[in-house]
Amino acid sequence: LNAAPRRPPRQQIRFLPTPAPGGGGAVELVPTRVPVLADHPLVRGPRFKRLKVGAGHRLDVKSSGVFVLGVGHGNKLLTDLYNCHMTKVYTVGGRFGKATEDFSDTGKLVEKTTFDHITREKLERILAVIQGTNHKALLMYSNIDMKTQEAYELAVKGLIRPMEKSPPIITGVRCLQFALPEFQLEIHCLHETQQYLRKVVHEIGLELKSSAVCTRVRRTRDGVFTLDDALPRTQWDLRSIQDAIRNCRLRVETELERTLG
Amino acid sequence: MAAALGAVGRARPLLRRALSGAARPPSTHELREAEEAAPVFQYAGKAARRKDRVFVWGFSHSGALGVPSFVKPDAGWKKPRRIQPTPYRLETEEKISSVACGYGFTLLASDTTDITKVWGMGLNKDSQLGFQRSRRDQTKGYEYVLEPSPIPLPLEKPQQTRILQVSCGRAHSLILTDSEGVFTMGNNSFGQCGRKVIEDEIYSESHLIHQLKEFDSRVVQVVCGQDHSLFRTKKGAVYACGWGADGQTGLGHYNTTSVPTKLHGDIAGVNIIQVSSYGDCCLAVSDEGDVFGWGNSEYLQLASVTETTQVNVPRHLPFKIGKIKEAACGGTGNVVLTEEGNVFVWGYGILGKGPNLIETAVPEMIPPSLFGWSDFNPDIHVAHVRCGLSQFAALTNRGELFVWGKNLRGCLGTGRMEDQYFPWRVTVPGEVVDVACGVDHMVSMVKSFI
Repeated sequence: LNAAPRRPPRQQIRFLPTPAPGGGGAVELVPTRVPVLADHPLVRGPRFKRLKVGAGHRLDVKSSGVFVLGVGHGNKLLTDLYNCHMTKVYTVGGRFGKATEDFSDTGKLVEKTTFDHITREKLERILAVIQGTNHKALLMYSNIDMKTQEAYELAVKGLIRPMEKSPPIITGVRCLQFALPEFQLEIHCLHETQQYLRKVVHEIGLELKSSAVCTRVRRTRDGVFTLDDALPRTQWDLRSIQDAIRNCRLRVETELERTLG
Repeated sequence: MAAALGAVGRARPLLRRALSGAARPPSTHELREAEEAAPVFQYAGKAARRKDRVFVWGFSHSGALGVPSFVKPDAGWKKPRRIQPTPYRLETEEKISSVACGYGFTLLASDTTDITKVWGMGLNKDSQLGFQRSRRDQTKGYEYVLEPSPIPLPLEKPQQTRILQVSCGRAHSLILTDSEGVFTMGNNSFGQCGRKVIEDEIYSESHLIHQLKEFDSRVVQVVCGQDHSLFRTKKGAVYACGWGADGQTGLGHYNTTSVPTKLHGDIAGVNIIQVSSYGDCCLAVSDEGDVFGWGNSEYLQLASVTETTQVNVPRHLPFKIGKIKEAACGGTGNVVLTEEGNVFVWGYGILGKGPNLIETAVPEMIPPSLFGWSDFNPDIHVAHVRCGLSQFAALTNRGELFVWGKNLRGCLGTGRMEDQYFPWRVTVPGEVVDVACGVDHMVSMVKSFI
């Protein structure tokens, strides 16, 4: 970053004494444009000694996926993005037959159960109920008086969302794959933690009169940032980061303007 | 020195026996072995059947919910629960196939061939639940029945006849059987039980249950209005009896009728597939998707065809909203369901489109996004609509129950006591199959998830 071309040094106009064209010892003051010495690279030193990098929504050690970071002035946008309260999308993989203490497949075993009575239809029924109760929670925590016409119009458009701190809310669940004992869900949620998603998988197992553990949690979208914008380990260099920032800038600005006004 | 060392050397083995090695955390191999050796529990087998349950909520002090501990708590320090604001499970002996809520009482019916087929609970001041012999005094009957109690019916073949449907009005009830006609009980001061009005008849503690058999064909649906009764036969005709001052009997006059008489007007010759009524207005749906209405129109229920406030002959309601599948009538508002699964409301009161829509004569559609329809779930639509006196209920094809309307004494089941101006989900632990709405309480039939 420091090797990139710098801003040209500031110029100033100084009256420098130069010998007069006539001759003799007379000195004339001639205005000339001279670079300011304070801007000289050797005086100033490298432009960037430290970079401030801030993190967006948390992603714990056992999960993977999109993780938003802010660099330098972008850190200010991070708070604004947090206040937009946009949904995040996760792909959660689960496995029936086991229940563990920390709801993931690497934890201490609590119980083993049968799962051959589970069908995709039963799972989808449970998912529909989860969506229903979470939809109710969405309307309740959004702190709008239900008796107003405004609340009715927002509910019709589906725009009611809690704009402050609230318990985790799931706005949508869908079963992507179902092959006993494994299954995969796509979960859209707000204000959640990855451990909460693992707990949801465990509770789905309990509702189906069996048990389930979560095998993987992968965030596929965080607000406006999707997997396509995310940089894998091999692309953590300056050029890719700069391109990524440039690509997302417009989307972030429009989103902030739309939500926060 | 050697001796001292020797002594220590001999002491060490003793120490080693007393202190075994510190417990190590189990290695991965040991964990996997322990996991494989763990027992496997089975909670539900492959042939597990979904269980049928009944949930009740609303005003409980009349005993209409069927839970005696709400009215008379079993411990002295407990207070009686006047209102049950959220669904509460009611344990029943048999699988219940039909439910009806009246004005302060409930009827549960099962289609079994056992002798006991109908249970009733709640208000019994007009013997709308039959004669419930009091245990304390064998000559008297109960005025309030707190628990689902069997109703003895004078059946000719009690071990073959099945109950198809029950219906409750303000102070009378109708029970429809498959081969023995319709049984009516309760108040008959307007002839709503289908028998002659006897002056100064005392209805409480009465043993009289009337049987109606003379119709043009088998009766397939019975509906109770507030003080009138409607019967729909297999041929598509509608019969009515009872109070007619608002024209709700649809027979062309405003007098009471004590014998079920066939309706004419715009429904003559039309094959009616569903009738509905709860207050003083009635709606009928034909097999071609047309809706007919008669009765009270003070709340603009029939204002699309007439300016008068009472209509005593069935009139066709020319709505251009599509083919209608089901209709439900409330006290002041009506709701219909079209073939596409859209819900239309009209009338007066809290209609479900926000606090601004108080009355309308023309049906207005409730946006499907309020019932859970979204890009994520595009195949959700409403499957049934039901009406109470001032509240509405809708069941989706996914088994979710949505309610809206006036929250009289907690009858909506949302857990709050405020009125609900747009459809709100009721959290029921199961898939709701059917719901019956009363004045201040509701009963639902639910199937468990697994």
